[in-house]
Amino acid sequence: MNPSAAIDAIQLRKTYATTRGFIKRERVEQVALRGVDLSIGRGELFGLLGPNGAGKTTIVKIFTTLLLPSSGTARIQGLDVVKDQWTVRKRIGFVFGGERGLYMRLSGLDNLRYFADLYQIPPELSRRRIHGLLDQLGLKGRENDKVEGYSRGMKQRLHLARGLLNDPEVLFLDEPTIGIDPVGARELRVLVRGLATSGTTVFLTTHYMLEADEICDRIAVIRKGEIVAEGTPRSIKTRVEDRGIVEFECEGLEPDRIDSLRRLEAVATVIVEERDLSQVVTIHCSRPSELAASLGTLLQGRQVRKVSVREPTLEDAYVLLVSS
Amino acid sequence: MSSKVRVITPFTYLGWLVYPLIIAILGLLILSQGSASKSAYAILGGGLIGFWGLAYQEGGNEIQNERWSGTLEQIMACPTPLAVIVVGKIASSLTFGLLSFIPTVLAAYLVWHMSLRNVDPIPFLVSFVVLTFSFFAVAISLAPLYAMWRWSNALINGFEIGMFALCGFMFPVAQLPHWLQAVSSVLAPAWATRSLYAASGQPYGHDYWLWCGLAIAISCVYLLISWALFRLVDKRARITGQLAFV
Repeated sequence: MNPSAAIDAIQLRKTYATTRGFIKRERVEQVALRGVDLSIGRGELFGLLGPNGAGKTTIVKIFTTLLLPSSGTARIQGLDVVKDQWTVRKRIGFVFGGERGLYMRLSGLDNLRYFADLYQIPPELSRRRIHGLLDQLGLKGRENDKVEGYSRGMKQRLHLARGLLNDPEVLFLDEPTIGIDPVGARELRVLVRGLATSGTTVFLTTHYMLEADEICDRIAVIRKGEIVAEGTPRSIKTRVEDRGIVEFECEGLEPDRIDSLRRLEAVATVIVEERDLSQVVTIHCSRPSELAASLGTLLQGRQVRKVSVREPTLEDAYVLLVSS
Repeated sequence: MSSKVRVITPFTYLGWLVYPLIIAILGLLILSQGSASKSAYAILGGGLIGFWGLAYQEGGNEIQNERWSGTLEQIMACPTPLAVIVVGKIASSLTFGLLSFIPTVLAAYLVWHMSLRNVDPIPFLVSFVVLTFSFFAVAISLAPLYAMWRWSNALINGFEIGMFALCGFMFPVAQLPHWLQAVSSVLAPAWATRSLYAASGQPYGHDYWLWCGLAIAISCVYLLISWALFRLVDKRARITGQLAFV
């Protein structure tokens, strides 16, 4: 356990119990986290990437005291999230985002006032902080309108304002830019980066590689409840530095031909995406130029178009990590 | 904020205005032809049903509403305990519930020219306060169940109507079968209602202070149960992680 860490997890495990069946009910256990270790320094902007169901939201909910871990320890600024939950809650903010999570019939201002009360913020400080956040997040002028009339982006900004009401030392953002237009998303990323620069520790989960690459100091990739990689975006990318990416379009590529590509020595992964009538094939391999040149022979009888060879990106590293 | 939402939400007007008025009118039509001893039930019955409905239904449903709007997780994870938040919501419900008496008493007076002539004011007032406290105790002891179990809404909604009879809102509990009277005896609002009607001039005894005392004692037991349930809710919700599920 790192005493100076803002967020710390040691061998964090979470198993959900559920039942299956109607008449004869069978108890089923679903393992969401399988011994996660994380240590995030104060003022760091940390990104957690992973496919759906990997355990990202489970980790966030444990850190924000909404879930009890099955075993292991999680601490926020040295405080245990289980034993010291009331103190932890005063020091953190969290944003789950989405269409829900706000009082639709109340105005944005009333939503913030209500949560300021719940966070026990004194009235005068609450008033100043709310107006500052409305200004900072571009909601000034719309604060007296009912939330049900807000756009998706405005709701997300209101969520963020709510998460920042208590001036948290640690902020958790669960996919904060999902469903937001590119301009809005960029503004949000700038804001989040600014928070980290001013000393707030930010823990962010996201699907967007660009977002993680652009703003995170460090990232971790989680797959099926386990951390499979951790480091700076650059260090994660080095995992695929010795590889290249070959991409091409094809039509009617049979499964056994795809399998034969996979069996090639230099090939690490083959991903096939169906787009309308054609297939876009992405191959991670160690000798991309050679492979690109031999595609015509390998896929004889099939029309291969738009063949390209490129350097791997963070997304390619992520795909390799979660699909291997 | 809970009160503000109620003012905005049209459905709330059904609870404190429309339903109590309908029940009061039915009660007045039926009971106005009977003896004067039943007039208090006609005048107060509709208001009591509306008061109870809002205090219990709305107070408990607030948790369900939070779940449906996706805010239950937000409020569970804030530094203010859920129990304190629920107390505020139930207090808001009780305040609105008091409004139920306005249309019902007015309807009785203006249309049927009925009023409570034989009210003993101090016992009446004390009984009313104790009744309010007992409604609060029931509502807050049931509210955690809404947080814990998503299906509790269906089960507990049915309980609301049974309480009308078991607590003697529209007719004396003494008219129920003996085994139901035994059930009624563990309900704090039943004792407070009995005291209230006795103070309104009903000829069923005048042990106001005993009945109020019983109502307060049973309410305190409910509050203890509520305290235990809220602790259980907090732990169970954090184990199962089902707060976000609708």
